[in-house]
Amino acid sequence: MIPNTSRREFLSAGLMLPVAGASSRMGLWPVSSEPSAADTGAPVKLDYKILGRTGLKVTTLGFGCMITSDPSVIERAADIGINYFDTARGYQHGNNERMVGAALGPKRKHVVLSTKSGAQDKDGLLKDLDTSLHELNTDYVDIWYLHGKGSPAEIRDDMIEAQQLAKKQGKIRFAGVSTHGGQQQLLPWLAQKGVFDVVLAAYNFSMDPGIEQAIAVAAKAGMGVVGMKVMAGGFRSIKPGDPLYKKLQQDGALLAALKWVINKPNVATTIPSMTDMDQLDENLKAMAHPFSTSDEKLLAARLELIRPLYCRMCGQCDGACQKGLPVADVLRFLTYADGYGQFALGRERFLELTSEQAAVRCGDCAECTVNCPHGVHVSDRMARAQELFA
Amino acid sequence: MKAAGLLLTVLFAAGLARAQEPLNCHFVPGWEQSEPKRQYVADNLSDYKDGGAEGYLVYGFVRMTGVTCKSGEDTLAIDISEMNDADSAYGMFAANRDPSLPIAAIGMGGQMQPQSASFAKGKYYVELVVTAANPNSDRTAVLQAFAAGIEGRLEGRVTAPEALAWFPKENLISTRLVPESVLGLRLLKRGYVAKYKQGQAFIVIEASPESAAEVLKKLREHFDGASPAAVGDEAFQVKAPYLDGICIFRKGRTLAGYANLPDPGQAAAQAAQLVARIP
Repeated sequence: MIPNTSRREFLSAGLMLPVAGASSRMGLWPVSSEPSAADTGAPVKLDYKILGRTGLKVTTLGFGCMITSDPSVIERAADIGINYFDTARGYQHGNNERMVGAALGPKRKHVVLSTKSGAQDKDGLLKDLDTSLHELNTDYVDIWYLHGKGSPAEIRDDMIEAQQLAKKQGKIRFAGVSTHGGQQQLLPWLAQKGVFDVVLAAYNFSMDPGIEQAIAVAAKAGMGVVGMKVMAGGFRSIKPGDPLYKKLQQDGALLAALKWVINKPNVATTIPSMTDMDQLDENLKAMAHPFSTSDEKLLAARLELIRPLYCRMCGQCDGACQKGLPVADVLRFLTYADGYGQFALGRERFLELTSEQAAVRCGDCAECTVNCPHGVHVSDRMARAQELFA
Repeated sequence: MKAAGLLLTVLFAAGLARAQEPLNCHFVPGWEQSEPKRQYVADNLSDYKDGGAEGYLVYGFVRMTGVTCKSGEDTLAIDISEMNDADSAYGMFAANRDPSLPIAAIGMGGQMQPQSASFAKGKYYVELVVTAANPNSDRTAVLQAFAAGIEGRLEGRVTAPEALAWFPKENLISTRLVPESVLGLRLLKRGYVAKYKQGQAFIVIEASPESAAEVLKKLREHFDGASPAAVGDEAFQVKAPYLDGICIFRKGRTLAGYANLPDPGQAAAQAAQLVARIP
């Protein structure tokens, strides 16, 4: 990764800034303490990095188009200068690619455009690619990802052949892999394989530090790293309506989470989903301001909120379950599912418990005899694991 | 004898339960279940749908159950997603359908292709995908049979959301439910959008006329240079970057309008047609 050399670059306001200011006035997005460039009418500040060996110069804030409904948001992002846009063949069965292609229009040649295919063989992949090019209304895509791979075994030689052939044919410029799980094993393998230019990896502040190390290995090998799920907050099970939900959405925490990833030296760009102008304006702030101590405090506070829910896997549980449940293990299985999105792994491990252990229901105990020194609500979490996995 | 009778009763009940189960590989002779049923909730849907999971969550995904069936070299994956409500299920269907193909009369609406099918009924969104030995083979008949069998065993509404019928039909290309930020504007939280040969129309139903009026007021403040328009209970028109000519009006608790037309006057004229169709 080559450090950003043009952090001070600005895009003159032009036509779009009055709109930026106007949409910011709506103020429905969580408000951070820092004013946005759009709020103040100042030029939008763009921050760039080089995407590994591709040499592509990308804005550190990219655009994940998957749930964007209205093309105007994509159009405006491109006008402002965001230059990395991501979609996939599978998003809305191709409707998303069609919308992205129409939204970018003639701007397509000025941006880095990536798409993905989840096809399982060479022919299927190449067929998908031709369809993608048609729907995106372009002759080539800059990065073409094998979609959603979780282990080296899922990447077969004929898939790599498809990417190499597509490169030779000029239909893609660079080959990539996207991954949501198993990253600690997969990324070093991709780096060692040497045929992938880019990896699109799930990465946010609450993840296992081992993922940061895996990303470093990939970056060191010259792969460009694109971050996704950057604002997931590492906690998916809290839904609207839950009392914790509002707290987790508190002022500025989402922006701080985005800045946390953007400021990681091994991550070149990010692709948060954006559905409206307010969200775009808010996310633009992440390029204008470095990750600060106040951001750190916000994220620390957010981690505190999820503390009762997350096992740190320190192995320092105080006490033992009277019914013989291996509490630390079950908490770890739950963290696989809730924290890292590895439900299958969590359930697989849970099902390895003895039948007596698997039959225990923590709700039957009046009081839990296990305490967590870090404040995890052990009995609640155990009950969730039993509900989720049993 | 009694035991044999009891056994027969149990077997019959089990068979009946199997026959009534919408996730069933036996709607067409020769198909058998090939692996255990799969189940996903919001927390782990990305294990199955990768990044596409977000596209389900935004439409109020609750849970998915699925099964894979096999017949000779062909496999059929059936997935039934339960959404928050029927409108969300229809929205999921509309977002994923091929707008160039007709809507089939199944459930609230469906679509049949040679190797895939989808439809929505009640709060359920159903997907069927055949993987055939010959990738060019046409499995429409099998898909229709499975779809009909599943549809008959799912509860719920069979009519599309009422508001979709309010959009004028002339030059209409497609309609869909946008789950958040209609026209890319956060104030317009969730609504229906119709794409026309030129421009797009939208309908957002608020909780009350008062809340609709409040949203309209904020929208008008949002667009510099907005001027009043004589449509519905109250309205404005304006020309804005990215949305071109716009007219947004309120009728009772419904907010609706047109955008992406060459000029605001044209948007207002179209809006006048739309307002007349809104009850």
